[in-house]
Amino acid sequence: MNTQSAETTLAPPRIGPALMPLSRSRMAQWLIFVITAVLVLAPALPILLQVFVAGPLYERDWDFTFANIGRLLGNEAIGEIALTTLAFAGLTTLIAQVLGVTAALLFGRTDMPGRRVMGDMMMWPLYLSHLIMVVGWLIVYGPSGFLTQAFARMFGNAPWNLYSIPGMAVVAGVSQAPLAYLYCLYGVARSIDPTLESAARTCGAGPLTVMRRVTLPLMLPAIVTSSALNIVIAVEMLSIPLFLGRPARIDTLSSYLYLEGIGASNPQHGMVAASALVLVVLVGATLALQRLLLSRGHRYETVKGKGTRPAPLQLGALKWPLFTLAVLYIAFVVLVPVLGLVLRAFTSYLTPLIPIWDVLTLQNFRDVFQTDAYMRALWNTLIIAVVAAGLGTLLTALIALVIQRSGFPFRRTLEALAYSPRMVPGLITGLGVFYAAIVFAPFGWLRDSIWILVVAYIMATIPLGLGAIQPSVVQIGADLDKAARTVGADWITSMRRILLPLMKPALLGCFVLLFVVHLKSYVVAIFLMAPGLEIMGVTMLGLWENGAAGVTAAFATLQIAMIAILLIAARLVFGVKLYE
Amino acid sequence: MNKLVLENLTKSYGEVHAVNNISLTVEQGEFLTLLGPSGCGKSTTLAAIAGLDRPTSGVVRFGDHVLFDDMSGRFAPPEKRGFGVVFQSYALWPHLTVERNVSMPLELRRVSRAERTRRVGETLELVGLSGFEKRYPGELSGGQQQRVALARAVVFRPPLLLLDEPLSNLDAQLRQSARVWLKEIQRELGLTAIYVTHDQEEALAMSDRIAVMRAGKIVQLGTPQEIYERPQHPFAATFIGSANLIEGIVEQSARRGDAIVTRLRLADGQHLDGHSAVPMAAGTKAKLAVRGERMRVAEESGANTLDAGFTTASYLGNHYEQKLMLAGQEIRMLVDVPQPERAGKIHIAESDALVFSAE
Repeated sequence: MNTQSAETTLAPPRIGPALMPLSRSRMAQWLIFVITAVLVLAPALPILLQVFVAGPLYERDWDFTFANIGRLLGNEAIGEIALTTLAFAGLTTLIAQVLGVTAALLFGRTDMPGRRVMGDMMMWPLYLSHLIMVVGWLIVYGPSGFLTQAFARMFGNAPWNLYSIPGMAVVAGVSQAPLAYLYCLYGVARSIDPTLESAARTCGAGPLTVMRRVTLPLMLPAIVTSSALNIVIAVEMLSIPLFLGRPARIDTLSSYLYLEGIGASNPQHGMVAASALVLVVLVGATLALQRLLLSRGHRYETVKGKGTRPAPLQLGALKWPLFTLAVLYIAFVVLVPVLGLVLRAFTSYLTPLIPIWDVLTLQNFRDVFQTDAYMRALWNTLIIAVVAAGLGTLLTALIALVIQRSGFPFRRTLEALAYSPRMVPGLITGLGVFYAAIVFAPFGWLRDSIWILVVAYIMATIPLGLGAIQPSVVQIGADLDKAARTVGADWITSMRRILLPLMKPALLGCFVLLFVVHLKSYVVAIFLMAPGLEIMGVTMLGLWENGAAGVTAAFATLQIAMIAILLIAARLVFGVKLYE
Repeated sequence: MNKLVLENLTKSYGEVHAVNNISLTVEQGEFLTLLGPSGCGKSTTLAAIAGLDRPTSGVVRFGDHVLFDDMSGRFAPPEKRGFGVVFQSYALWPHLTVERNVSMPLELRRVSRAERTRRVGETLELVGLSGFEKRYPGELSGGQQQRVALARAVVFRPPLLLLDEPLSNLDAQLRQSARVWLKEIQRELGLTAIYVTHDQEEALAMSDRIAVMRAGKIVQLGTPQEIYERPQHPFAATFIGSANLIEGIVEQSARRGDAIVTRLRLADGQHLDGHSAVPMAAGTKAKLAVRGERMRVAEESGANTLDAGFTTASYLGNHYEQKLMLAGQEIRMLVDVPQPERAGKIHIAESDALVFSAE
């Protein structure tokens, strides 16, 4: 052993010239910063520009003007549309929150039978796009829907009307309830310190009183956060207002934008950009309000380490009545629309008047598989989803590492930049990327290539990916990469050899999440559509508008199958459970 | 010679100075301990030496290399410094085996595979973990993890070893033996070591020199004997060996032989002679530090004799800790036999009573 002390010190590894002002690590950090900034800002700036230009941006002579804003403010319709949007978003959020919070309490905190299975099924709408949800609802509960007709035959007229603001809000609300459920479930219901509830029991409170007086108030931050998200999502929602509002001449900002920007024969780009700005302001205000409301969050901090699983509350006599209600909800709100949709895909016509076996057919699927444009849509969607999810995961992982684990001087700016797409509705992202490809010469090559969709998808989902990855980075002890630094690894090496391997589960989870989101996405792509760039969602949108319900349903069924296979495979092979 | 030099090192967070203008030189082969309560800036100082934290101002030099200098803006990142660091959390990489954890520094230095295997084997033998090569950190006990952390920090023969409370996560018994073991390895490898701890026993047992820190400053720097026998600050006296502090007013202060003897008047009018570093002005407020084990119940010639009221005694195994009231203050002394709870006399030798200015 004495030979050891005679050995000489090994010099630190040479990583570029000693004390170079801009090490390769710092350069990598700058690169990540610049890529993020370009991705996020490039689509936003042209929209701002368009607000002040009279003609469309792609006409080279820009005529600067305030006329667009003037016209927007002078347009009485816009005011009404904004109010409709708010009413729709408010009602949607109310329904989603009431359902979501109730479900989180029942499935997450009580001994109700079947709570696990029903909790899983409660989440289904989250995996499907609004487009599929609304088509499913229309097939079953629409004016000529299966159950509407069946009901009408037995009792006279059906008392519901989906073509109304409440109708829209119900469909949107049940689609968004899983989000509220998820936040409340993991925010509090599963992680609450059970002694807080036990303490209330010892003070003489019954189970329902405990829920009302202790559990529910502790859920407040989760409720506020998910409410804000739901308002944002409702404001920018397109398919539901388009399919349910339009027939009754009800317009929201996004359906108005869509029809003005795409549908109109002579789109007024200035007006479109200006109303896009109104949308961004609405969304931004909501998120700002959320931050304000949560600024005293410490009052609700209940999760302090300790992985104890709280004992469920005993429901007692209420057990079976509540169980029945939950089963009915899951059946009629989640299962029936999906089943109706699948059934519609396998039939030529779905009505209670004709026995189903008389109309069974595979023609809808044949139509999908034998039409070039539809097949292209399938393949494009898959390719774009894989590439965008892969690159998006990589980019968000790198952003998270720079934000959390580097001495990069502008990491706070980077964080703000990376989360800023939250303020921009998907429709606007697409519009912005479309403008960017026109205005900025370096983006020109993106036009008419599926890369334009990849770029738009990545940009739109940076906040989502970051939200999935950042917590896992925070959980990895800071000493682990510091230790790597002290034994001679520079920032890049310590991230590559220590942090990234430890983040593997989170990276996989992020990839699956982004993949599913991209697979079902359509709003971002709407303004970017061109021949050859078809994707499933936008194709479905067009098909439904043209009355091709059967083919739409076949498409939707395929998409549901793809998502289901992916989720099951991810869970079986990698143990990745989405949203956990 | 590879001396580590800190000059006017400061680390501020806004208005708060976590490390406040520290200057320090660590000689080659020396074992220096930064000792102090939590929040005293000892870990921040260590992080500044390691390069894990960028100081606000000052200079850090090692041998001929300037590692940090706020004037020139020079700051060497940790990977360029080549110091071994043992973290309080051990910071073993959970996805790598023991062998890979230890060989990482060598891999990063592009050491050949054969040489790596040899060095890793030797180092694991040194820390007594031969045969654990293929284990993962999660499969090791706390003591074993601590040894892997040390192996990883010394495998590339760093010129300087930095240890941040490396024993604080071990249980009391293991801590005792790890202390001896750690010191042996440091001596065997001839390493210069800087050791951070809040445990005074650890510091006294292991160090060549101790820097006692409080509120971002070094209160006293010296050998363990100097720190214990001649604390230069009431904080050093109370933090190490938890001395009693008694307040009083200086009556007179004069040189007598080698010492400066200062007489205090206590709150109840009793007088007490002690040694002070400098002559003190009469009438000023002073604090007198005296260790519990240096106070006697038995009479002693030439010592101060004081009236005190004995109160409760607690049994500590080999002796008792007796509480007593002296001039209206509660103090503690160590006795072999508990005293009855009533008034009595205690005796304190002049040289055991250290007088500090109260300011």
